[in-house]
Amino acid sequence: MDHIRNFCIIAHIDHGKSTLADRILEKTGALDKREMKDQVLDSMDLERERGITIKLNAVELNYKGYTLHLIDTPGHVDFSYEVSRSLAACDGALLVIDAAQGIEAQTLANLYLALNSDLTIIPVINKIDLPNADIPKVKKEIIDVLGFKEDEIVLCSGKTGEGIDNLLDAIVSRINPPKKMEDNKTRGLIFDSYFDAYRGVIASVAIKSGEIKKGDTLIMMSTGAEYQVIELGVNTPKEKLVDKLSSGSVGWISASIKTIDTVRVGDTITTKENKADNPLDGYKPMKPMVYSGIYPIEPNKYEALKESLEKLKLNDASLVFEPETSEALGFGFRCGFLGLLHMDIIEERIRREFNIDIIATSPSVIYEVRLTNGETIYIDNPCEMPDKVKINDILEPYVKASIFVPSEYIGPIMELCQEKRGIYITTEYIDLKRVNIIYELPLAEIVYDFFDKLKSYTKGYASFDYELSEYKVSNLVKMDILINGEVVDALSLIVHKDNAYHRGMQITKSLRSLIPRQLFEVPIQASIGSKIIARETISAMRKNVLAKCYGGDVTRKRKLLEKQKEGKKRMKMVGSVEVPPEAFLVVLSNE
Amino acid sequence: MNHVYIHIPFCRKICSYCDFCKIFYDENHADDYLDALEKEIKDFYMGEEINTIYIGGGTPSVLNYRELERLFNIINSFKRDVNCEFTFECNPEDINDVLLNILSSNGVNRISIGIESFNKEKLNLMERRSSYEDIKAKMNLIRYYGINNINLDLMYALPNEDLDILKNDLKQFIKLAPEHISTYSLIIEEHTKLNNENIKNIDEDLDAKMYDYICKKKKKKGYNHYEVSNFALNGKESAHNLAYWNNEEYYGFGLGAAGYMNGFRYENTRNLSDYLKGNYRSNEALLSKQEIMEYEVMLGLRKLKGINLQEFFDKYEINIQDAFPVKPLIRNKELIYKNGYLFINPEKIYVMNEILSKMI
Repeated sequence: MDHIRNFCIIAHIDHGKSTLADRILEKTGALDKREMKDQVLDSMDLERERGITIKLNAVELNYKGYTLHLIDTPGHVDFSYEVSRSLAACDGALLVIDAAQGIEAQTLANLYLALNSDLTIIPVINKIDLPNADIPKVKKEIIDVLGFKEDEIVLCSGKTGEGIDNLLDAIVSRINPPKKMEDNKTRGLIFDSYFDAYRGVIASVAIKSGEIKKGDTLIMMSTGAEYQVIELGVNTPKEKLVDKLSSGSVGWISASIKTIDTVRVGDTITTKENKADNPLDGYKPMKPMVYSGIYPIEPNKYEALKESLEKLKLNDASLVFEPETSEALGFGFRCGFLGLLHMDIIEERIRREFNIDIIATSPSVIYEVRLTNGETIYIDNPCEMPDKVKINDILEPYVKASIFVPSEYIGPIMELCQEKRGIYITTEYIDLKRVNIIYELPLAEIVYDFFDKLKSYTKGYASFDYELSEYKVSNLVKMDILINGEVVDALSLIVHKDNAYHRGMQITKSLRSLIPRQLFEVPIQASIGSKIIARETISAMRKNVLAKCYGGDVTRKRKLLEKQKEGKKRMKMVGSVEVPPEAFLVVLSNE
Repeated sequence: MNHVYIHIPFCRKICSYCDFCKIFYDENHADDYLDALEKEIKDFYMGEEINTIYIGGGTPSVLNYRELERLFNIINSFKRDVNCEFTFECNPEDINDVLLNILSSNGVNRISIGIESFNKEKLNLMERRSSYEDIKAKMNLIRYYGINNINLDLMYALPNEDLDILKNDLKQFIKLAPEHISTYSLIIEEHTKLNNENIKNIDEDLDAKMYDYICKKKKKKGYNHYEVSNFALNGKESAHNLAYWNNEEYYGFGLGAAGYMNGFRYENTRNLSDYLKGNYRSNEALLSKQEIMEYEVMLGLRKLKGINLQEFFDKYEINIQDAFPVKPLIRNKELIYKNGYLFINPEKIYVMNEILSKMI
């Protein structure tokens, strides 16, 4: 136990976490140069492409007689619960800060999470080889804002390997070995799980006390479910089978578990043989924050879509879905996500890995609706909004957002947040040139276009993080969109009354440009209740004919016709109007 | 009925919008070309009696006196029906006594002239020339040689064209009193100069307005609108072109020509050296019955008169409404059934692709 160090790396996105992890693997001899594939820990293509880590991984390393467990954490706010669980598996954290960028929103958010988990923090300035690195400035930020001492800061470069030895020494000397628990009953913290086609669910665990051996009977403490341990192992990062995992170690367990739901991240595993009475702290079931309808463009792909969601769920307990029917889109699924990135990733994986063309309706948050009869209901789909006369109040979730920007952008940020119905809390100065602006904002506005706006308002200089704060009463209304006189359920949305007119205009305008002309005139309207608040008209198609069609080009012209026909296949019929799938995302875009 | 199309790919200059198979004229090539053409016809023509012949291009009239004699010598190998419609395409500047003498003495009885417009701006854009007075004189000359079946090509919906420009063009065309007028809106095809110069189509609504005007005006002046883009005085409909729209078979000879024989649709190579070597066909495909019926529909509905349902049944042994989803389209008033014919609602002829793509 005394020679074990469990740690993780936390950082703002793009501050070089994964590259640094690679270098540590290389330095400790876990992998030689030949075996190094850049960023070994990010094993999914999508992760590599987006430069983020979605699924966690744990690696066992050896350094100067010590066993180090490097536990990777996802770097995005959507996965903050998963971050907090993986932090709970550690005793220390490397807080990585880019030598050119300095402290960003997620640096701070991650630091707070780590401090809450009582970890020893080692501040690391990474990328010191960059030509625009400003080490004195970043050092000063770390000292002034984060409250570290200068001699605590480690300098290194994940790219060149400079300073990695110092860093490893700091890990060994500063981070505490895992704490012993007095009763020595078996307790393992599940901080990740994934599905393996041959072995079922594999749980990543940090053993906090006691031990787990092959053949033991596992008990999941939140559900009481029992399983027989089949295999135990550690990653070095190559998989290595072991006979037991004992207190302080970090590894994985396979026990022929069929569904990932039973292996909940944050839950405590114990054994029948050495059963603990009380679980480790901090478990809470994950709750989706954002919902969206996912529909196959071709109706006959419904079963395939169902299968793909089930497969994705095997690896992702936070994804929830249930069948949903839309008049406009047919059969599909209402899916719940941890956040926007999570939603993006799932949708992209359905398209890419399962090759299914899908339409995703605009994301919705969960509204709390207090009815006149005293009942309270929660809705995640605008279509479920009850009639106005039955509603007392509608409450919507707010988040506490911190926005890091150079101080010259204070004005634009405040303007943006005001426009997004934000409530100003405070401004903290990081240094003379940078501030942390804190606002309360409706989550719905963040889901809508806050990120894009933030980027354009600040030329990309802002960084942003948020956490759920509370539900507040808002003056919200349901807005319907009518195409050719018919309400299109998939386009309904909930908007703040003050923005309704403007959004109605935007949406009808974009629909007019997205929906091709039909053989008849098509009115596009936005309405609240029975009141039409905006209208656009798509005029009837006037020309679609092969002007010339003679012997020479009969065959080619037929191909042209076939191409047109092919183009129609991807359209969704709304009444008698052909609507392209992009149109269903119109509620999201603001052009 | 049997039909022959012969392609003469040579042109003195290349028009900006043209995507037909064409090459610059030069005498050496012309001789070799006629050799290859003669061989192609010898190889494939099975001796049937021919009802229509169409010599198109390119610019057939660019050939010189000697080459023309040679061409007609080759064509004389076809066994011709006494009423054979024999069309020859001409550029206005090539029309003279020598040409007409050869044409009329070889049985040509229909001439098609690619005027396209009399408007200076339109002509500049197309990189063509013509004048009303000149055409008037040339048409008189043609009639002097006893050829009293003349088609004029008119192109509209060019960039910057407005309704007044079109009205003026149309007025002059009608004043020339041709038997037949073909009227095409500009299509900016790939691999044309216009496309390379990124020229854009005019507004769809204006285009449709022009088409409506053309149809109304010509009808008023006694022209029968018998196909999407074609208008003729009574009895002067082009028998050759109707063969295409009736989905009849035809020979296509020459560089880049297309044909339809014995259930095969084929296309000749567009590569001159391949053609001269006798590698005529570039691709051919045997059509399934379904495909043949689809062509029947796609081509047949171009005729305003439409498709005769009895003839359809006789040809394919199936009713058209059992082969294609016709009924909902009739209900929508996109198709009309009347007096044994199925046709596109004339008000919707300019959006007929929409209707076709629901059918086939």
